[in-house]
Amino acid sequence: MKNWGRFVISMELRKILAYRSDFWLSFLGQTFIQLFVGRALWQSVFEASNVTEMNGMNIDTLTLYYLIAPIGTRILTGENIGFISREIYEGSFTKYLIYPLSFFSYKSITYLTYSLFYSIQLLILYILYSLFYYHSLPDFTHFGFAIAGTLTFLIASVASMSIAMSIELLALWVDNTWSLMVGFRFFMHFLGGAFIPLVFFPEWANKALEWTPFPYFVNFPIQTFMGNISLHDWIKQASVLLLWVLVCATISKLIWKRGQYQYTGVGI
Amino acid sequence: MIEVNGLGKDFSYTTKEPGLKGSLKALFFREKKTKSALKDINLKIHEGEMIGLIGANGAGKTTLVKILAGIVHPSHGTASIMGHTPWERSDDYRRQMALIMGQKAQVWWDLPALDSFLLLKEIYQLSEEIYQQNIKYLSETLMISEQLKIPVRKLSLGERMKVELMAALLHNPKVIFLDEPTIGLDISAQKAVREFLKDYQKRFKPIIILTSHYMEDIKELCKRIVIIKDGQFVYDGELSQVQKMMGDEKVLTITTEQDFKDEKIQAFGGKRKSENVFTLSIPREKLGEMTAKFFSEFAVLDLNIQDPSIEDIIESMMKSGSK
Repeated sequence: MKNWGRFVISMELRKILAYRSDFWLSFLGQTFIQLFVGRALWQSVFEASNVTEMNGMNIDTLTLYYLIAPIGTRILTGENIGFISREIYEGSFTKYLIYPLSFFSYKSITYLTYSLFYSIQLLILYILYSLFYYHSLPDFTHFGFAIAGTLTFLIASVASMSIAMSIELLALWVDNTWSLMVGFRFFMHFLGGAFIPLVFFPEWANKALEWTPFPYFVNFPIQTFMGNISLHDWIKQASVLLLWVLVCATISKLIWKRGQYQYTGVGI
Repeated sequence: MIEVNGLGKDFSYTTKEPGLKGSLKALFFREKKTKSALKDINLKIHEGEMIGLIGANGAGKTTLVKILAGIVHPSHGTASIMGHTPWERSDDYRRQMALIMGQKAQVWWDLPALDSFLLLKEIYQLSEEIYQQNIKYLSETLMISEQLKIPVRKLSLGERMKVELMAALLHNPKVIFLDEPTIGLDISAQKAVREFLKDYQKRFKPIIILTSHYMEDIKELCKRIVIIKDGQFVYDGELSQVQKMMGDEKVLTITTEQDFKDEKIQAFGGKRKSENVFTLSIPREKLGEMTAKFFSEFAVLDLNIQDPSIEDIIESMMKSGSK
């Protein structure tokens, strides 16, 4: 990596840490709200159904699932919506064109810095959770799986970044891509299994989703994290994910190649 | 050296009728229009030259600057800057060029300027020695040393412009595009920026293309000016020649005892300046005849005869489009 890349990472980290209240609210607030809501809902479902396990998941594994899912989705989403489109709209995108650097490299570094930062948060939370709930943790929650799961989230974040870049670059034509990005994130969360684990989806839906990148975004990393995936399956699913990265990165490049003729540098 | 031949830029845009009805209609149908922002521009600028690009809003100044800086692609024509085609954006070209836009921040908003400068040091691959030397020179000349550790968003407009100038000049560019660098600044900040640019040009001799609405900037800094109107050059030459071109004209400022209707003033080709005061340009040979006429028609309190100012001449050239 070029020296400026390392500098950008440090600069972005300083930006994340600059706003204290925002940092704590998004780190703890968002995570624990989703964890408690998820756990409470599933507890009611188990009680109402008078069972202790559904589709191979009990309340403890679901608690762990809802601990991983919120931060996992933050790893995937990296920077906020508008990380490219807002700059195109405002005209501040100009700086990437006048400085001797690659716009794609710069934006990838900033996006993945956020992902990396949230990955560390995930591991810290997991360690804290292990300390307090070691008695309820199933056997498979080995720390090695946690690291493998986090790395899988990082690979998935490269795929989600490639798709997000393709959508955000459409701002070169349509000015506003907010609703497209919101739609993409909703599908990524919902069809990825961030709200309801994919084991609870009907079989036909799971079969259909196999052809899309969505199950590889959330479900795949979480299953890796929980040690539910064999090495053979991991390689297979990671290959599909990487294929999506290649497809989307190529699309982004094509959009940029055409879109740069549309850029006017006009903005607020 | 900069050489531009037959450069043009057409922009497409859509229009929408005002009001809710217009908004609803625009959901299904929008009228697409094309505007030629630049038409067949030819320009040659030599090393060390500083030119002033003057024109009304929407004349095409900024579009030309953006094309030459490589951020906008032209619709037709060629441009070569030190052997590079700007819109190909080669790293080699971008290392030798700087663009400063008075209305757009290019440094990182949330960070102190020094953090942005350190990043730029890495981007431009500057040695520690050159970096320190340039920081010292720029911050001392611009008198901004104390503000470099404050987040940019907390600086005043004048301080922000100084920081933008520092960021843009840190790598000693050979070509500098300055788009309205003094816009919105108070008089003392404008003066400081002008003084700095004058000193910088003298010291490093870069090519500078300056656009500004303030004639003071142009008069102080540029020997050569280009006047642009509706995307075309209407004048390209020495600033001093502009005044000579209109040398046979005189400007009369007349103060009368009582105010007159605009129609009466306009009948003489005059323009109201304020209550009881109006001005008009007349050919030198008609000076005596016209002055006598004013004294007979109006109760004249005061009459002042001057050569036209550069501002007046340029304004009239921008309006008439005469070459």
